[in-house]
Amino acid sequence: MSKRGLIAGIACASTALVAYFAWQFSFFEYETAIYTTTADRLFTSDHLAKLVPLLLIGLMSAIGIVLCVAVRGWLTRRDPAHAPFAAQRASRSARRIRGRRVSGFMVARWACMVGFFVLMVFGGVILGARFANISIPVLSCPANMSQLTETSCYYLAHLDELATLPWTGIAAFVVSTLGFVLVFGRTLCGFLCPMGLAQDLMHTIRQATRVEGVAMTEDMYQALVPLKWTMLLLMIGLSFAGGNFCNFCPAIALTPAAAGLSVSLYASGFIMVFVLIASFFKRRFFCTICPLGFLMGMANKVQLFRITKDCTACTECGACYEACPMGIRQIYTERACANVTDVNCIMCGECVRCCPEDGALALTFAGKRLYTSKRARVVRGYQRSAHE
Amino acid sequence: MSRQAIAGTSPAAATSPSAVEARREQRRRQLFSSKSVHLTQKYLRRMRDLGGSAELMQPFFDAMERVYVRGQDVRKPRGTKTVGTYCVQVPQELVYAAGAQPVKLCSGHYTAFSVGDDVVARDACPLVKAIAGFKHMGTLPLYENCSLMVVPITCDCKKRIAGLLQDMCPVHALPVPANKGDEDVETFVAELYQLADVVSQHTGQAVTHESLARAFERTGYAQYELSRFLRIRRKTPNLLYGTHAMVAMNASSYLDVDAWAHAMRTLNDELERRAHAKQLVTRKDRPRVMLTGSPIVFPNIKVPLLVEESGGMVVADETCMGERGMSDPVVPVDTSFDGLMRALAIRALRPCPCPTFADNTQRLYRLRRMVRDHRVEGVIYHVLRGCLVYDYEYRMVEEELDRLGIPVIRLESDYTDEDVEQLRIRTEAFVEMIKLKKGPQRANRSMRG
Repeated sequence: MSKRGLIAGIACASTALVAYFAWQFSFFEYETAIYTTTADRLFTSDHLAKLVPLLLIGLMSAIGIVLCVAVRGWLTRRDPAHAPFAAQRASRSARRIRGRRVSGFMVARWACMVGFFVLMVFGGVILGARFANISIPVLSCPANMSQLTETSCYYLAHLDELATLPWTGIAAFVVSTLGFVLVFGRTLCGFLCPMGLAQDLMHTIRQATRVEGVAMTEDMYQALVPLKWTMLLLMIGLSFAGGNFCNFCPAIALTPAAAGLSVSLYASGFIMVFVLIASFFKRRFFCTICPLGFLMGMANKVQLFRITKDCTACTECGACYEACPMGIRQIYTERACANVTDVNCIMCGECVRCCPEDGALALTFAGKRLYTSKRARVVRGYQRSAHE
Repeated sequence: MSRQAIAGTSPAAATSPSAVEARREQRRRQLFSSKSVHLTQKYLRRMRDLGGSAELMQPFFDAMERVYVRGQDVRKPRGTKTVGTYCVQVPQELVYAAGAQPVKLCSGHYTAFSVGDDVVARDACPLVKAIAGFKHMGTLPLYENCSLMVVPITCDCKKRIAGLLQDMCPVHALPVPANKGDEDVETFVAELYQLADVVSQHTGQAVTHESLARAFERTGYAQYELSRFLRIRRKTPNLLYGTHAMVAMNASSYLDVDAWAHAMRTLNDELERRAHAKQLVTRKDRPRVMLTGSPIVFPNIKVPLLVEESGGMVVADETCMGERGMSDPVVPVDTSFDGLMRALAIRALRPCPCPTFADNTQRLYRLRRMVRDHRVEGVIYHVLRGCLVYDYEYRMVEEELDRLGIPVIRLESDYTDEDVEQLRIRTEAFVEMIKLKKGPQRANRSMRG
């Protein structure tokens, strides 16, 4: 057995073990669990008190990040090849390069993510649980019973419970989940998922503080594939083996606490700290191993949102690959097929934003171009800086 | 300046044998200088005689004149050091960030070539011979004032010239990976860190996050103007001669990036005005020719000149001293210092269709796209004698263009005026052939126009 295989095996096995015994790792426990909230409790001291686990996670992540940066700085200073630039690599105050302008697409994406987060956290309380039958496949924890809609992850992680539902419930779950997956696919990951929002926020903080990230190579992405399968098997199968995936899933740490609920955190709290640190250095790290996203990605050939490529316009400059949070390589190596929507593509539009060739990449919905790459978008911003 | 220094030696020392030798050497240098000035002037004159929008090219011709005729160093702020670079794989941003001025030393000079012919291997390419010639004669401030030369190890000739130049000035050989995978990018990032260190040691000014970001903005603006230029030319053909366009892009080698961007901006504004006023260099439907292959460096611009003098129109070029040199922008994805260095490394490797990379099929796609975008009717594949890497790729390109139904000829040339007539015959025949291919009606119309 190769060394790499051994490491992958150990990583997968330990993940499975942690997931199985997740309830043993207590992060933040409440005496009694409260899964609903009311409008009058919003933004009261009680609500704020419920944010403590979330703040704790944030604090631990911040400490972890600072430690990681310090260790890396120390290693850089010790490395003779990089020592001359250790100070520059640690510098935080450099000017922002005025290369690119804000595009409407990105504004819309962020508005979607933030708006959906608010709706999922407080929507049920404000608007009433009108869409409770609909299941959206995103990681917005259904432990929050006051969400606007149901999320598919609960019954996917508890398939044994799904079987006990009346047939209308099963039908509603299956139809709404499949419907969303077939129409949107992983577009939901890029536009709606609250876990995605949290990770994108971490990335934005890193960009704003000019901390250098970790550039993952294709080998590293390959090495994560066994872990992704393990996560999928755990999500689907843990309920049958007597475990509970929710005690392991990091998403449970996010929306219930934000909504002001008392939901105990076990291993998931620690996992969330790890996910936040990882996504700080590597954008959307959790999305690369997300079991739900993996399932949704299967629809990449039928979904209506697509990334299309004009292969003749591409210069293989690799800007898209560098920008892609999911490390999709074929987006720049593809030379024949116009549809480059990958299993892993979350439709975040970063590739289109960074592509310097006119019309080489486009994000399309049912064949209609929503967001097209432009040379001007990449270089026009430099105009201003030149005339200062 | 150096010529004056040579002329100012005292006559008292003119008796010993070594002094005689020195005087002979002096005369040789003077002869070399005057011959090379003469050659530059000849090609500048031929370009002006081409007419069209030649008057718009004045800032670019000036840059050439300054360096090759008046024998001055490039225009730069007082006290700025120059760093000589070759090829497109040396990031200019790094040099600017270290407070120096990069100049591209790839040469097209026939006079220097004839000197270099005796200095380097017989089968070496003329571009490298010309570099060796200039460095051997030591008369051109452009070469002599370089505080450092950065030679990327792209083709064999560049590798050898790196070794050869080492005897005459400080040289940093920059290894360029043969592939473009993730690991190769990582390797090249490490090389660029080393290069940044070497350059800043020579200039005494550190490459900082701030200065690198500023350099990105400066070159980014130049690239913006270049992209504008290319778009204008694509939209309105016959707005200016391709030879002029190639020299304008070539001039970026001898101009400060801000000065070049400013000149391009003025040119673009004027071209936009002329496009609006339908003020074209010709109303004829000339055969639309694209140039590709070995670098075409001023003053070795005989090939595009011949095409346009025989009634063709060079609508685009896929050569590294022309469009390709700067047109691919650097796309910084990450705002950190390391992120900027990565962006430079990626830009130097991935979009570059240089045949020194092991797998260069992407060049075919680029050619195919340019043929489509510029409605190219014929391709001239230029090969400098001894430029093996481009010669190897001719077959691949020919097969691809055959599939597209685009005629292509391989023009081999050397850095000499002797082959001009032979090249003229072939170019004229090629241009005529395209005219005939266009059909009799269209040919007639073009004659009337």
